[in-house]
Amino acid sequence: MNGAWLIFKKEMIEFFKDRKTVFFAFVMPLILFPVLFTMIGKLGRRDADQRRGQPSKVILLDPGNVLRSSLEGQPTKFKLVPKPEGDFLRAVTEEKADLEVQVDPKAAEASARMETFVVKATYDESTSASRLARKRLEEVLKTFDETQVNARLVSIQAPGMLAKPTKLDAVNASDTGREISKMLGSFLPYMLLIIMYAGAMQHGAYLSAGERERGTLLSLLATRMPRAQIILGKQLALFALCLINVVVSLSAMAFGMGRLVAEIQPAEAAAQSSAAMGNLSAIASPTTLLLCFLLLVPLGFFFTAIVILVGTQAKNTREAQTALTPGIFVVILLGVFSMAPGIEKMAALPYVPILNISLAIRKLFSQQGSPYEYAVALVMTIGLAALMTWQSSRVLSRESALFKGGD
Amino acid sequence: MIRLVDVHKSFTVKDRKTRKPKRIDAVQGISFEVKAGEIYGLLGPNGAGKSTTLRMIASLMAPDSGTLEVCGVDAIREPDRSRAAVAYLATDMNVYERFTPRELLRMFGEFQGVEATVAERRGMHLLEKLHLTEFADVKMDGFSSGQKQKVGIARALLHDPKVVVFDEPTTGLDVLTAKTVLDLLRVMKSEGRAVVVSTHVMPMVEQICDRVGIIYDGKLHGDAPPRELLKSRNALTLDEVFFQLAAESEAAALGKGA
Ligand SMILES: Nc1ncnc2c1ncn2[C@@H]1O[C@H](COP(=O)(O)OP(=O)(O)OP(=O)(O)O)[C@@H](O)[C@H]1O
Ligand SMILES: [Mg+2]
Repeated sequence: MNGAWLIFKKEMIEFFKDRKTVFFAFVMPLILFPVLFTMIGKLGRRDADQRRGQPSKVILLDPGNVLRSSLEGQPTKFKLVPKPEGDFLRAVTEEKADLEVQVDPKAAEASARMETFVVKATYDESTSASRLARKRLEEVLKTFDETQVNARLVSIQAPGMLAKPTKLDAVNASDTGREISKMLGSFLPYMLLIIMYAGAMQHGAYLSAGERERGTLLSLLATRMPRAQIILGKQLALFALCLINVVVSLSAMAFGMGRLVAEIQPAEAAAQSSAAMGNLSAIASPTTLLLCFLLLVPLGFFFTAIVILVGTQAKNTREAQTALTPGIFVVILLGVFSMAPGIEKMAALPYVPILNISLAIRKLFSQQGSPYEYAVALVMTIGLAALMTWQSSRVLSRESALFKGGD
Repeated sequence: MIRLVDVHKSFTVKDRKTRKPKRIDAVQGISFEVKAGEIYGLLGPNGAGKSTTLRMIASLMAPDSGTLEVCGVDAIREPDRSRAAVAYLATDMNVYERFTPRELLRMFGEFQGVEATVAERRGMHLLEKLHLTEFADVKMDGFSSGQKQKVGIARALLHDPKVVVFDEPTTGLDVLTAKTVLDLLRVMKSEGRAVVVSTHVMPMVEQICDRVGIIYDGKLHGDAPPRELLKSRNALTLDEVFFQLAAESEAAALGKGA
């Protein structure tokens, strides 16, 4: 075991001696994710501002002044602009106005006769501001209609409820914490899978195939260190690097998400998320998180074992990375598969490597897993990882690992 | 210290043209012995089987057949144990460039079961003999090949090995540096270690070797002190012996072919 520890130490020291690698692997995501999410948030807010905060510019042609007061009464939503020269349509498509409203000149009389009158609205479906203006107009008309209907009902001495046969009373049975936890559970394994595999691939090629490429492997193998310990030490180091990668990426992402939410809806979000966090902490209890971590450990080891196994057989870093790249797609595919709704009911899934772990994590968060499934996932993943580790150390004992060609 | 009896090693390579596996008999029944305090020179042209022989002695490769003993340990049965007694250096080795020589030597000391401080002391002593003390704390990524080779030599000798196996230790070194290395090998000899070196450079063999073996086509031709070998072959220099062997081998091949 001492040998593995020495190799572990060597790999970690070697890794952290290269400032550039450390920067790109660990510091960069810490900067990049928050910046990225903040930018997305800023863009989103600008868009939202435009839609919500600004009144729609409306050209109103209402000779009977039937709707004018309703529109003018809501200055936050409507701003009446003067009628332009020439074509109305052009004014809308050229975005000088968001909406052009023509009310039937005989609207007042029609209304008095309890008849329907036409309100013609011209808008541009391709711009969001124009679509919003139309929606706002519809709301105004709805209120207008309701008051009209009420007045008419009163005039014929009928109850106001006559025109309202139903009233929807919706109650949300799920609580926010559970919802978030479930969403997190389906999303998290996917992220973790990709981050771990990509991290393992990135650093693993350096410390396996890279050693051969740089000509240092021979000096290592010429020592009395047993091969199995060299492999084990390298895997442990790679695993540790992956774990750091996961922690860094996830915290950067979490922080970034927080910024994103804060940018989009500052006040609302703060209240909502603090309430949700309260619920979340009840569901994602320390036990859940601990179990989640326990499931991740063998998976991380499984990935590092794959990478080292491929890396010890590759001639150089590039060859290793070429061989490992398709794995990313497999992992993404399995990740997407594990996110799909209803997947957890398939009977064979607990026996598919990688997938069973991400499924177990998902069930952990939605509190649906059974101890049997966790155990199967754990034992299988650890077993396969151990098998690959053993195979790697056999590869390293073969002389072809040292001297190209040979048998 | 080192004993080889009828050691064989062959490789199978694929011939791209005929698409058939091709057998290369790199070492075909080599036997020799190196005692403590003796420097043995393996001499031969390219592809003769020198490196293959040395790799087997260093337990980096297993012989196909024969007996191989290093420090009384059966190197075929217990390669990990026999390797522990060997200092191995080859031209295709490199140093960890992100480290300084001092860091590297401490680390390899630990790999070899030597305490880091002890390893550092021994390593610094070796670097001093190799005139590299000045660079002990400089990161090695800017080192010249000669400087790297010196660090490699110190790295190999850290753990007080009974057996020293150096594959072409002076290749690529200038005369001054080469002399430093040869002097160090003499020190190894005086300390009672068994030393095997391979080389193409004849003067080096004449200067330091107690015995030489000439490898040609995976077989050993002559195994004697340099001077005796010359006398028995009726030659003035080792180069001459070498040309004789090449001619003999060519004649034999022609004879076989006819
Ligand atoms: N790993 C290997 N795979 C296939 N063939 C090999 C391998 N190692 C050596 N050989 C072959 O064995 C023969 C002996 O090679 P070796 O490296 O021992 O020669 P050498 O005497 O060290 O030559 P040089 O002076 O060029 O270093 C050569 O024909 C070589 O092609
Ligand atoms: Mg050679």
